[in-house]
Amino acid sequence: MCLAIPMRVESINGFVARCSVRGVSRDVSLFMLEEGSVLAGDYVLVHVGYAIQVISGTDAAATWQVIDEALSGQ
Amino acid sequence: MSATAKVWLDRLRDLPLDHPVSILNVCGGHERTLSHTGLRAALPETIRIIPGPGCPVCVCPEEDICDAMRLARECDVVVVAFGDMLRVPINAARSDPRCLSDARGAGADIRPIASPREAVAIARALPDKRVVFFAAGFETTMAPVAAMLCQGVPDNLFLLVSGRLTWPAVDMLLASEKPGFDALIAPGHVATVMGPEEWSFVAERYGLPIAVAGFTAESLLAATYYVLTQLLATTAHLKNCYPAIVRPGGNRVAQQQLSHSMRIVDANWRGIGTIARSGFALSETFASRDARSLLASPQDAARRHAGEMPPGCDCARVVLGKVVPTNCKLYGKACTPRRPIGPCMVSDEGACHIWWTSGLHNRTHAPHRRTGVAA
Ligand code: SF4
Repeated sequence: MCLAIPMRVESINGFVARCSVRGVSRDVSLFMLEEGSVLAGDYVLVHVGYAIQVISGTDAAATWQVIDEALSGQ
Repeated sequence: MSATAKVWLDRLRDLPLDHPVSILNVCGGHERTLSHTGLRAALPETIRIIPGPGCPVCVCPEEDICDAMRLARECDVVVVAFGDMLRVPINAARSDPRCLSDARGAGADIRPIASPREAVAIARALPDKRVVFFAAGFETTMAPVAAMLCQGVPDNLFLLVSGRLTWPAVDMLLASEKPGFDALIAPGHVATVMGPEEWSFVAERYGLPIAVAGFTAESLLAATYYVLTQLLATTAHLKNCYPAIVRPGGNRVAQQQLSHSMRIVDANWRGIGTIARSGFALSETFASRDARSLLASPQDAARRHAGEMPPGCDCARVVLGKVVPTNCKLYGKACTPRRPIGPCMVSDEGACHIWWTSGLHNRTHAPHRRTGVAA
């Protein structure tokens, strides 16, 4: 249940960010991050609908790779 | 497996290990990477990584699930909970529902949610109803629950908090006579929120190597390598193998929200017992939101202690890393994800569920059979 998934921030409205990954879009709360620490185009690590950390695009890609491997059961 | 992971694996194979070592992981996510990507099977025989207390659903006490059920069935409230919680079985009379899902089938209004934000949305949509959020989880999950509270929630939303802290369980294991492991891999997302520093006690107080790992094969292998090199050099310190995400001090905003909305209490772990200062409860500020206040009477003491684990289920010892799932007599026989007997077979984070879904269907073909963990 501690699994967190990287998503790309598309737009921000107050404490809510529209985030996407692989064509899926979700509203994500930014309430757990310092105000102003995220901009559109950044990547965030999302857990149960809340961004828990800002991360780099490279780390986002590496994390997706492991999720893909785990899901395909290799 | 990536090229970097292969390099780490080669480095691990080159280590001059002349006796078997056990490394405990404390995270269902780590366990999943190890099992589902074939990483565990690729490790040298002498290195065994065993699943430990990494599943909050598995340790959620029966009495809390029972309270959630009583609220939904007797108090005319809507209960919302993370999906995993709905199928966790409890000991119940044949005529009574065995899990929240059964109770839902029998007419109670119980709804699965994926985010605390959904709990707020449901409460807003039903202003004439009382809504109870049954919140179980480790620090990573309780922090968003805290954020939800601090941001402000409607008056008709109450909480049944069953959150747990991971490090006190490890501390309890280490303080016991036979911890059963030589080193530890700490959970990356717990450390993201709480800061890696809270794990340094493992090295400082108990002299065991410890590394924080992320969820890629590379990060887990690096963590394994660093704890083993410490073991070989007979030193112990905390190594952060997930530095891009786990930063010194952790997420301070989240920590402030947690300390504003929650207090730390002694808490019962299913089948294990009370672990000092290992649970979250609502702080004074949010005390009026306690869903237990909606219950007409407290659960009677006899029901509370009716039996923590189903008969024959070894889940508590699996959670403590004392046995591996395949050591349980019911594994894959009476107990499968389709018909789970114990909580470890229900949750995506449960070791039994992870081992079974990774294809380990034959109890005699457990990884590390030859060096298997002592029962
Ligand atoms: S296999 Fe089932 S019965 Fe055995 S420990 Fe795991 S959850 Fe419990």
